[in-house]
Amino acid sequence: MLDAIYIQKERGTAKVLKYMVRRGLKGLLTIFVSITITFFIIRLMPADPVSLLVDPKMGPEVQEAMMKQFGLDKPLIEQYFIFIKEVMTGNLGVSFKTRQPVIEVIMQRLPWTLLLLTVTVSFSLLIGIPLGMLAAKKRNQFFDKLISTLVVIGISMFIPFLSFGLLYIFAYLLKLFPTGGAYTPPPAEGFAYYLDVARHVVLPAFTLVISNVATIILYTRNGMIDVLKEDYIRTAYSKGWDDKYVIRTHALKNALIPTITVTGLMIGTMVGGAVMTETVYSWPGIGRLIYDSVSALDYPVLQGAFLVLAIAVVVMNILTDLAVAWLDPRIKLGG
Amino acid sequence: MGEKILEVRDLTKYFEVSNGLFRKKKYVHAVEKVSFDVYKSETLGIVGESGSGKSTLGRVLLKLIKQTSGKVFYNGQDIMQLNSKEFGKIRRELQMVFQDPYASLNPRIKIGDSIAEPLIANCISTNYAEAKKKVYELLDLVGLQPESYERYPYEFSGGQRQRISIARALVLEPKILVCDEAVSALDVSVQAQILNLFNSLKKKLDLTYLFISHDLSVVKHISDRIMVMYLGEIMELATTDQIFSKTYHPYTEALISAIPDPAERGRKKRIILEGDITSPIDPPPGCRFSGRCFKTMEICKYQHPELIEVEPGHFVRCHLYSERKGDC
Repeated sequence: MLDAIYIQKERGTAKVLKYMVRRGLKGLLTIFVSITITFFIIRLMPADPVSLLVDPKMGPEVQEAMMKQFGLDKPLIEQYFIFIKEVMTGNLGVSFKTRQPVIEVIMQRLPWTLLLLTVTVSFSLLIGIPLGMLAAKKRNQFFDKLISTLVVIGISMFIPFLSFGLLYIFAYLLKLFPTGGAYTPPPAEGFAYYLDVARHVVLPAFTLVISNVATIILYTRNGMIDVLKEDYIRTAYSKGWDDKYVIRTHALKNALIPTITVTGLMIGTMVGGAVMTETVYSWPGIGRLIYDSVSALDYPVLQGAFLVLAIAVVVMNILTDLAVAWLDPRIKLGG
Repeated sequence: MGEKILEVRDLTKYFEVSNGLFRKKKYVHAVEKVSFDVYKSETLGIVGESGSGKSTLGRVLLKLIKQTSGKVFYNGQDIMQLNSKEFGKIRRELQMVFQDPYASLNPRIKIGDSIAEPLIANCISTNYAEAKKKVYELLDLVGLQPESYERYPYEFSGGQRQRISIARALVLEPKILVCDEAVSALDVSVQAQILNLFNSLKKKLDLTYLFISHDLSVVKHISDRIMVMYLGEIMELATTDQIFSKTYHPYTEALISAIPDPAERGRKKRIILEGDITSPIDPPPGCRFSGRCFKTMEICKYQHPELIEVEPGHFVRCHLYSERKGDC
C-alpha cells in the first residue's frame, strides 16, 4: 500500500513537471504575441520620437543621422525582425531618451514597483479576507450591507480623484506624509532610509489597497457564502465541530480558491505598474516609467516595460493554477 | 414494542421569508406541531413528497437548525433546551446520514480523516493517528478497503461515498441514526446494497433508525413503522403492516398506489393527484391536503382535522374518520 502511494506521488511530480513545460511553452507564445502587438501599436502613435528629441533648428541631416542610429530608417517589418532577434538574445535595446540600456532602466524601476505591490497585496489580503469572511457569516445583516456598499464604492472609485483627495488631506493639510517620490533626496543612511521610504509608500499603497481590498472582500465573501451552503459544512456541524473550526478548516480552504485566482491576476497586472497611482505620487516604478516613456515616445523602454508585464502575467497565471490545484485535489492540471 | 427512546412533542419549525423592507413577514410552515414517539431498536420510516418537511424535521431533531417551538425528549431529557455545550455529549448518540453523498463530504479532506474528525471533535481521540484504528474498523464494517483511508471523496462512486457517510455517522457509536434520503441519489441496484447494509448494521449495532425518504417502496422495505407527512404535518402513522393492509388516509392511498408492482403491471389502478403541493407559506385553514384530495368534502376546506387514533397504534389526520369516531 505504501508503495502504491509512493508511485502515485512520483507520478504526481512528473505530471506537474510535464504540465509546467506545456504551460511554459504556451506562456512563451503568449509573450511573443503580446510583444508583437505592443511593437506595432507603439509605432502607430501619430508622432515620431526623433522630432521630439532633436531641435527643429538643427536641420534634416541631424534628424536623419539620428533615425539611422535608432534604426528607424529601415522598413517597419525589418525593424520588427531585428527587435525579435535582439529580444531572443536578451538585448532590449537602448532608451531613446537617456541612452541607457533598457534592461538597466527597468531594473532600476522594478524594485520600487515590487515594493509597492508587496505592501498593497499583503494589506489587501490581511484586511480583505477577514472582512469578507465576516460579511459572509453575517450575511444580509447590517455589517454585511455596510461592507457591500463600501466595496462598490471602493471598486468604482476613480484613482486620481482618490489620490488627490488623500494628497490634499494627508500631505498638504495635515503634513503627515510626503507628497511624492519614494524617498527624500539625498537618500539617508541605514534605518533612517527605510523609515523614510516607509513614509513615502503609505499614500500610494493606501490608494491601491482601497480598490484592491474591495475586490478581495467581494471574492472572499461570495466564495464563503457559496461554500457555507454546501452540504459538507452541515456534515461538519453534525460531527460536533463549533463555528470557528468549521469555518477555518472546512470552509476557508474551499472558499479561498476564487480569492487566490484573483490575487494572482492582481499581482500579474501590478508588476506592470499602477500607472495612474505611480504617476500621481511620482513613484519611481514601472507604471511611472510607462507614463514617461509614452510622453517621450521612447519605443525601446515601452517595449521592455510591456515585456516585463507580459512575463509577470504569464508567470502569475501558472503559479495561480498550481496553487489552486494544490488546494483542491479535484482540480486536475490540464492544458 | 420496546421503550420510548425519543418523544417528539408539538415540534414546529417556521422559516421566515423576507419580502422586502416594509412588507409583512411571511413564514414557511416547514414542520407544524409534529408529535410522535420513537421506540428503541425500531426503524421509523418518514415519507412524503418534496417540501413536506421530512428533512427539516430530521435536522431539527438533531439541532442542526433551531426549532420554532416544541420539545424533543431523548431518554426523558428535553434536548431542545440544552445549549450546544450540554448537547455535545448527546449529539454523539444522535447522528445523521445526509442526502447527497456527492455534496456531503468535504472534497479537500481525505475520507479517513473525514471519518476520524468526529472522534477528535468530541474529544474521544486526541489525534488522527489514534483515531486511525477505529476508522479502519468502520471502513471494514461498511465494506470498504482500508486503502480508502488515504483517498479523496472524488475518487469514489456514489454508493461508496454513501458507505463513507455511513461510516462517518457510525464512528461515534450513535444510538439513533437519522437517514435523510440516504439512498435517493443512488442507482436502484446500489440502493438495494445500501439498504441491506443498513439492515445488517442495525442488527450488529442495535441501532434505532429514522429513515426519511420520498420513496414509499424503500421505506416499506426497511421500516417497522411508517409516518406519512404532508406540508409539515403527520397525515398517517402506523406500523408497516397496518398501513399497507388498511390504508386510511387518501394521501397514503395515493402514495401506495404509485408504488410500481411488476406482478400487477397495468392492472393496478393508480390514483393520480391533481396539481402540485400547496404553498407552505402561511397555509390556509382547513386540511392541508384538501386542495388535491380526491375524497375532499366541504368541511375539509375550513376545519383543520386532528390526528386521531383509529386503531391501536394507527393514527390518521382526516375528516373522513373524525366523523366516524363521533358516531361511535
